[in-house]
Amino acid sequence: MERLCLELLALSILLACCFGASPESVNGDLVIKKVENTIDLTTHLPKISSSIILENEGKAGVRSFLFAVDPTLSDTLSYIGAVAKSGDDDHKLKVTAAKVANNPKGKFFLIDLPSLLDQGKESTIDVETVYSHSLRPYPAEITQSEKQFVQFTGNSHFYSPYRIVSTTTTVNCASSNIESYTKNKPISTQDNSITYGAYENLQPFSQMVLPAAASDVYYRDEIGNISTSNLRELDDMVEVELRPRFPLFGGWKTHYTVGYNVPSYQYLYNSGDEYILRMRFVDHVYDDQVIDHAKVKIILPEGARNIQFKSPFPVQRDQDQLHFTYLDTIGRPVIIASKSDLVEQHIQDFELRYTFPKYMLLQEPLLVVGAFYLLFVMIIIYVRLDFSITRDEAREARLRIAGLVEQIQTIHDCRSALYQSYDDAINKFKNSKDATSFTSNRKKIDADYKQMTQQIAGLASKLKAENSDAAEKVTELQKLDAAVKDQVTMEVQCVERLIAGKMKKDQYVEMESNLKSKKEDLYQKMEALLSSL
Amino acid sequence: MTMAHGGYKKQWLLRMSHEKQDTLLKLMILTIAAILSFSTRLFSVLRFESVIHEFDPYFNYRTTRFLTEEGFYNFHNWFDDRAWYPLGRIIGGTIYPGLMVTSAVIYHFMHFVNLTIDIRNVCVFLAPLFSSLTTLVTYLFTKELMDVGAGLVAAAMISIVPGYISRSVAGSYDNEGIAIFCMLLTYAMWIRSVKTGSVFWSVICALSYFYMVSSWGGYVFLINLIPLHVLVLMLTGRFSHRVYVAYSTVYCLGTILSMQISFVGFQPVQSSEHMAALGVFGLCQIHVFVDYVRSKLTHDQFTILFRSLILLAGTLGLSVFGIATALGKISPWTGRFYSLLDPSYAKNNIPIIASVSEHQPTTWSSFYFDLQLLVFLFPAGLYFCFKKLTDANIFIIMYGVTSIYFAGVMVRLMLVLAPVMCILSGIAVSATLTTFMKNLDVSRREKKSKRRDTNYPIKNEVATGVVIMMTLFLLTYTFHCTWVTSEAYSSPSIVLAARASDGGRIIFDDFREAYYWLRHNTPEDSKVMSWWDYGYQITAMANRTILVDNNTWNNTHISRVGQAMASTEDKAYEIMRELDVNYVLVIFGGLAGYSSDDINKFLWMVRIGGSTDRGQHIKEHDYYTPQGEFKIDKDGSQVLLNCLMYKMCYYRFGSVYTEAGKPTGYDRVRNTEIGNKDFELDVLEEAYTTEHWLVRIYKVKDLENRGI
Repeated sequence: MERLCLELLALSILLACCFGASPESVNGDLVIKKVENTIDLTTHLPKISSSIILENEGKAGVRSFLFAVDPTLSDTLSYIGAVAKSGDDDHKLKVTAAKVANNPKGKFFLIDLPSLLDQGKESTIDVETVYSHSLRPYPAEITQSEKQFVQFTGNSHFYSPYRIVSTTTTVNCASSNIESYTKNKPISTQDNSITYGAYENLQPFSQMVLPAAASDVYYRDEIGNISTSNLRELDDMVEVELRPRFPLFGGWKTHYTVGYNVPSYQYLYNSGDEYILRMRFVDHVYDDQVIDHAKVKIILPEGARNIQFKSPFPVQRDQDQLHFTYLDTIGRPVIIASKSDLVEQHIQDFELRYTFPKYMLLQEPLLVVGAFYLLFVMIIIYVRLDFSITRDEAREARLRIAGLVEQIQTIHDCRSALYQSYDDAINKFKNSKDATSFTSNRKKIDADYKQMTQQIAGLASKLKAENSDAAEKVTELQKLDAAVKDQVTMEVQCVERLIAGKMKKDQYVEMESNLKSKKEDLYQKMEALLSSL
Repeated sequence: MTMAHGGYKKQWLLRMSHEKQDTLLKLMILTIAAILSFSTRLFSVLRFESVIHEFDPYFNYRTTRFLTEEGFYNFHNWFDDRAWYPLGRIIGGTIYPGLMVTSAVIYHFMHFVNLTIDIRNVCVFLAPLFSSLTTLVTYLFTKELMDVGAGLVAAAMISIVPGYISRSVAGSYDNEGIAIFCMLLTYAMWIRSVKTGSVFWSVICALSYFYMVSSWGGYVFLINLIPLHVLVLMLTGRFSHRVYVAYSTVYCLGTILSMQISFVGFQPVQSSEHMAALGVFGLCQIHVFVDYVRSKLTHDQFTILFRSLILLAGTLGLSVFGIATALGKISPWTGRFYSLLDPSYAKNNIPIIASVSEHQPTTWSSFYFDLQLLVFLFPAGLYFCFKKLTDANIFIIMYGVTSIYFAGVMVRLMLVLAPVMCILSGIAVSATLTTFMKNLDVSRREKKSKRRDTNYPIKNEVATGVVIMMTLFLLTYTFHCTWVTSEAYSSPSIVLAARASDGGRIIFDDFREAYYWLRHNTPEDSKVMSWWDYGYQITAMANRTILVDNNTWNNTHISRVGQAMASTEDKAYEIMRELDVNYVLVIFGGLAGYSSDDINKFLWMVRIGGSTDRGQHIKEHDYYTPQGEFKIDKDGSQVLLNCLMYKMCYYRFGSVYTEAGKPTGYDRVRNTEIGNKDFELDVLEEAYTTEHWLVRIYKVKDLENRGI
């Protein structure tokens, strides 16, 4: 006997642990004066709206009441919501799941009343419940040409722990093709009320409305793009016509993937390094949709920390993961949330907060830059260094010659720039007639010129040592250069004579053009010689 | 002065050393050619989507996915029970795995560096990628043969040659896509090893030969061409130690390596196709031995020894060959190879080989269509090769001559011909241009005109004319190639497109519609019967078991399916029950006007069906009208009008209007009103017909309940 008591005690403790919260008791003072039940069977999602007039016959004020879901339907409940009607205003009420100690059948919800309900006062509450998968195809299998009927089992009364004064239940159905219905009297049938009707399966195709900024929409499956789809871009939305590859008859199924991109500015807000993502948990796919299971995966950028997820309704959070894709090093954090049995009423926003340091934006470009930098460094090392085990004399000599030639070319480029400087100096002298500055200028240029010519001569002797044909060409180049220098000297003499008045203007002009054309010819020869080096 | 100075800077390109200019130009031309060869193959991806084409690629795609998901060992031991029901197929041992392994390696490497690319995309873009590599290899090969200029022209030509593009557009995920690359690589390495006589290059050649063997059955061509080259070198007295080292290394190593591919197995030492290589290998040893003996003996002694040795070796070799053949150690020549040597062989003996369109002899027009200018430049290239005969040139001549013969026998082998056409044409163009460009004096034209060459009066004008003509030829070649690629070789064939009367595009996606329906709305273990063409697609896309597929390894099994299609309903029902068939799939183009449908292929089914013992009651002439015509209208043979294939294609078609002004049941492919309109199916029920009726699927009814 004592042992049994102990076991009972243990059991109750266990039960208490399981339920977590203490069971609610039913307040016998509350009375439901009138219930108007509307069972809407026009879609595949039965919707029951109950308009309840509640009266408090007790002495103490009441804050909340219990709403019960019929045991035949409680397993298929996917959404419950309650509003209080006062005049035209609707006030959304808080609904929480509750356990009732003595009444284990069905599901119970505790609905908070908008205000304290005093003795003798009344309150009108509208409760809406949506059920998925509560329509049963009947018979379950048919051939392709037959019509599919469905069966709905519900309660023609109102299931409640409180005393009810009056109940009316209306059942609306999609068509008037009724096979049979339960005849609980009193009963009346007119048009579509109290009728169980035929129900064809899903519509063959549907339209999906995406946000206006949606781009790169894709609609595909395991074997490729589904070409029966269409996309229309309207001003305020993008309309996608989704047609499965084949029409869906009863019992047929298909499988596809739809996806699109949206710009982040519509959904992502930030202040400094703090970010908030606000988006719909599920989106509208088609009217009267029912989602058996939804899994939402959010992939955040690499380096996001302090992640907090807030959902509008209870969801199951799975273990966070890491996702690796293009240019990732440490992986992107992935938040996974899932929920079963979702209907249109679940299209609500979730909120995700995280911290993302802005400098992390630079990580990927820098990674690419670094990779290319390394690549080029490797190539430079490979090209510049000699990795061969044998020494190829001819090749070495060729490389040395190429190096010398390049140096000569560079120096000659500078030297030819000096010719230009001579010209400039002469022109300046012609205008200003300042002999002293001209002389100093000339001396400066002369010094530079001498140095460069000497450098080239040095390099040319080195070239000669390499026993190359290029050496001769450089000698030729030097000769041409000397000729140019002669021309320049003559030009200088002419201009000095002109300024000193020892030469006539027209004579000088003729002389100058003569010299110029000679110089031009020499330049061309030098150029040809250089490119043949 | 300033002018001249400005000119200085503009000429920086000329001022670069010749070596640098050379490298820069080569790099630029090759890069552009490689990019071009990749991008010209993307027409179908841009027009349709990134999707696998045709039939065989679907099998390769499926096996590649298996390899990436299950790993190499499971792939190697894979027994596929989805195909050839009830026989199944040992996939690991009956395919060339090179293609799949290549894709899997690329896929795993990409994922290792976090490039999460889909395996389907790897498969779709593999062929274009390898054609880029082929461009580079062609350059290397031609450079070895001739010079850099010819190499560059050949590389540019092969990047857009339609004969090769036909097998390597994006999505055409087939063995040939990488095999051409392997083949040319092996050739290039072979030439290099012959030229250097180095064991290193010979080993590289053997390794690339191994890659070739692992990827395509066409390696047989290669293992016969290289010995042929050696043989010709021997006959022309060009045999040297270099050739000896190269061939001995390549043959020994290559054969051992090729035997590691389980599909090849012991064939290299047993089958007749490989015997030429072995024979030449033996000949090499004898040749070298004789050379050695000759160097030690006097002339008379040597003659006696040589004669007796030849006699002895000849009789010994022949008798060994004869005994081995009699004992079945050397397998007989396979049918496909016979049909290479004798084009009419297959047609007369093996209907299953003859039925494949790509095994038909090539028409003249398709040579022009696939090669255009190259056809005319090919002999010129041969001329230039003969003009300066070297060891390497002999090889390209042998390659050119043999492959042009094989391409004439079989359309498919146009693929082998295309590279050599490009190489020889490259040589021709480059040689012509180098000759005439020298005569072209642009820089000192004025001076030249004053003292003209008396032997060659209008030298410059002729040169200009030749250069302009060649430029024009090359331009037309480019336009032709792009046009052919865009019009003929870029349709995925799994998705069809047509122009609507209003100019819009109509897409016929019926194949995928039907396959996807099968995938999701039939039981997992159902067996689908269809003609073998669609086997690979059904296993890959519908994931259902099929009776026969494009592997065509079992003639009797295919024949059984042909018999079912050609029989009356109750006879066919027996066969279908015997093979556990649940669904039958037919392709019917009569409504959409799609001409390669099952009715047009039907005579092959009849022929193949009647080619075995169990199908002897099926005779081709029963399906013709008394006048010997194949007609589906009222005059058609009653046997045809009541066979299973006819009924499946035309079920309910008799009540459909297809074209304005025509009676019901008007077949738009054969342009006739069908002969048998009003009939019911007894043993089948229609399960699914696609939007344009291209694919029709029937369910085989179960046996009737007893007593009804």
